[in-house]
Amino acid sequence: MRAKTAGASMKAALDSGLDAARRQDWKRLILTNRTILMVALLIIVIVLFSSLSTAGLTLGSYNADYLAFSAINLVPMGMLAVAELFVIVSGAGGIDLSVGSVVTLAGMLFGFMYGVWNWPLPVALVLTVLFGSFCGLVNGVLVAYAGYPPLIVTLATYYAMWSIALTVNDQKPISTPPIQGMYEYSKKVELPAWFGGQSLPLIPLGIFLFLIPTIIIVWVLVAKTTYGKRLYAIGTNDVAASWAGINVKRTRAAAYVASGTIAGVVAIATVSQFASARPDSGVSGNGMALPAITIAVLGGVAIFGGIGTVLGVILAAMVITWLNAGILLAFQGNLSGQIQLLALGILLIGSALLNGFTNRRFAGAR
Amino acid sequence: MTITAPEATRVSVRGRSLPPLVTGQELILIVMVAALWVLLAISNPGFLSPFSIQSMLWRLAPIGLIAIGMTLIIITSGIDISVAAILMVCAASIAKLTAEGGWPFWLAVLLSLVLGTAMGALNGLFISYGRVPAILITFGTANLFKFVGYRIFDSNVITGIPSERSILGPGPEGQVFGVPIAFLILVAALVFFWYYLRHFPGGRHFYAIGDDESAAALAGVNVRRRIFLVYLVTGLLVGLAAGITIGGGTANLDQTVGKGTELMAIAATVIGGTSILGGRGSVLGCVLGALLVQTVASGVTQLRLPSQLSDLFVGAFIIIAVGADILRRRNRRAEL
Repeated sequence: MRAKTAGASMKAALDSGLDAARRQDWKRLILTNRTILMVALLIIVIVLFSSLSTAGLTLGSYNADYLAFSAINLVPMGMLAVAELFVIVSGAGGIDLSVGSVVTLAGMLFGFMYGVWNWPLPVALVLTVLFGSFCGLVNGVLVAYAGYPPLIVTLATYYAMWSIALTVNDQKPISTPPIQGMYEYSKKVELPAWFGGQSLPLIPLGIFLFLIPTIIIVWVLVAKTTYGKRLYAIGTNDVAASWAGINVKRTRAAAYVASGTIAGVVAIATVSQFASARPDSGVSGNGMALPAITIAVLGGVAIFGGIGTVLGVILAAMVITWLNAGILLAFQGNLSGQIQLLALGILLIGSALLNGFTNRRFAGAR
Repeated sequence: MTITAPEATRVSVRGRSLPPLVTGQELILIVMVAALWVLLAISNPGFLSPFSIQSMLWRLAPIGLIAIGMTLIIITSGIDISVAAILMVCAASIAKLTAEGGWPFWLAVLLSLVLGTAMGALNGLFISYGRVPAILITFGTANLFKFVGYRIFDSNVITGIPSERSILGPGPEGQVFGVPIAFLILVAALVFFWYYLRHFPGGRHFYAIGDDESAAALAGVNVRRRIFLVYLVTGLLVGLAAGITIGGGTANLDQTVGKGTELMAIAATVIGGTSILGGRGSVLGCVLGALLVQTVASGVTQLRLPSQLSDLFVGAFIIIAVGADILRRRNRRAEL
C-alpha cells in the first residue's frame, strides 16, 4: 500500500514502519514469551520483598534462607501444576479438579499401608503411586472413551474420593511412628561441597526427591517424545490429529493417568511434609486443584488446549510460592492468608485476560 | 400467495421446537425422590412429620435458587465457580449490618441483593466483554470475593443476629399456611424462569447461545449482553439465597458459610438433566436435582451413616445423570 507514496515520504514511512515493527517485536516478546514474563515477575517479587525486608517493613527477613525454607511449598504446587499441564494441554475442555482428592485419598492409603499395616516402604510407595494412576485412569476413561466432559467427571471423582478419604479413618489422621519417620524426607539438607556446600542455604530434601525428578521426566515426556507431540496435536485439533493417525482417545486418557500418577507422588510428599496422613490434606482451605490450575494458566497454558510449556509452569509455581511466602511475612496473622487469596485471584484473572489478548493478537503465547 | 401459509408453518415449527412439559430426566428424578421418601418414611416414621418436611423444604430454597442461576449459566455453556464466595459476602454483610449496624433485616437483604447483582455483573463483564473462559474468571473472582468476605468477618464469628431474620427461616414465624416463605420464593422463581425460558424470545436466546454462539450471533442475538445478563441474574439469586441462609441459621455466623455451594449447585444442575455443553436444560430439573441431593443427605444422616458419605452418592449421581445425557445425545444422533 505504501509503495504508491512518493520517494522521500515513502522512506520515512518505511523507517517508522520498521520502528513500529521493532517496538511491536519487543512488546510481542514480553507478552507471548511466557518464560521471559515469568522471569521478570519472579525478579519483581523477590526484589520487592527483599527491599521491604531490608527497610524493616516485614515480620521476618526475606532472604535466601527464607526462600529456601519456603521452597517446600513448591513441591506439591509445582508438581500438581505440571499435572494440570497434561490435562489442560490435552484439550476438549481438559481440567482436573480431582487432584486434591487424589492426593488426600492416596495419602490415606499410604498411611494405612505403611503406618498401620506395616508393609515394607518400597511396596507402599509403589502402590500409592499406582493408586494415583488408577484414579487418573478412571477420569481418563470416562473423559476420553465415554465422552464425559472433564469438568463434570473430575468434579464427581473429587466428591467421591474426598468422601471416602474422610470416612475411611473416621476423619482422623494417621500419624503412627513409621509415618512420622517419613519427615526424614522433607527436612532441609546441606548441598554437597562440589555444588557450593555451606555457602548455599539448606534446601528441603523434598525438592530433590520429588520435584526435580518429576519435572525432568515430565519435560522429557512432553517435549522430547512422540507422546508429547501427540498430546499437543490432539489439544490443538483432535479431528486433524485423528486424520493424522493418532489414537486420540488413548492419548487423552493417558494425560489423565499422568495427572493422577503425579498426584500419587504428591500424596507421598505431602505425608512426608506433615509427618502425618491427613484426611483433609489436599482439600482443606483453598484445596490444591485451584492453585494448581492458577499456576498452570499463569505459566502460559491455554485453557483451550494445545499450548503450554513445562518451564513456564515451573517458573509460575516459583512466582506464586515466593509471592505467598513474601505476603506471609508482610502481613500479620489471618490477614496474610487473605491477601494470598486476593493475589491469587488477581493473578489468575490477569493471566486469563493476558492469554486471551495474546491469543487474539499474536496467535498464542509460547 | 397467501399470508396464512407462513403463519401456519411458524406455528407448527414452534410446536416442535419446544421440549415436552416434563422431560424424561425429570420423571426419573421424581420417581427416585418418591422412592427414597417412601424408604425413609418406612425406616423412620418421623421423616414425614410436618416439622421434618418443613425444614426440608426450607433447606431446598437457598440451594434451589442458586441452582436455577447455575442452570441459566450452564445453558449458555458457561459456568460459575464463584457463587459460594458471593453467598459468603452477601451473608456476612447481612449478618454484620443487622447484628452490629442495627439495620432492619429487610433492608439488609435488599442490600444483599444489590451486592450479589454487582458481583455477578463483575463476572459477566469479564466473561462477555473481556472474552475469557468463564471457568478461569470465576475461579479468580471467587478468590477476590472470598477476600472481601473474610475482611467483613475480620477473623471473628459474627454474633447476635436479631431474631427478625426468622421471617425467612423454617420456623412458624416464616410460614404461610404451614409452608415456609423461603420455599414459596423458590417456587415463584422456578415458575418465572421456567416460563421465561420456554416462552420468551430472551429465554430461547440462552439456548441458542449455548448450542452455537456464532450461529446465535448471526441470527441477531446480542450474545454478549445476554451472557452478561445470566451472570448478573445469578448474582441476584445468590443474594436472595444469602438472605434465606441467614434466616434459617443461628444468631451466629462463621466463615465457613456457603462453603461447597458451587459444587452442590453444579451437581444439582447436571443431575437435573442440563447438558454441561450448553444448549439444553431446565430449571425444573435442577430443583428436582437439588431435592434429590437434599433427600440423600438427610437419608444418610437418618441411617446414622457418616454425613460425609452423602458426597459419595452425589458423585455417583453426577456420573449416572451425565451418562444418561450422553446416551440420549447418541440416540438422537442415530435417529437423524
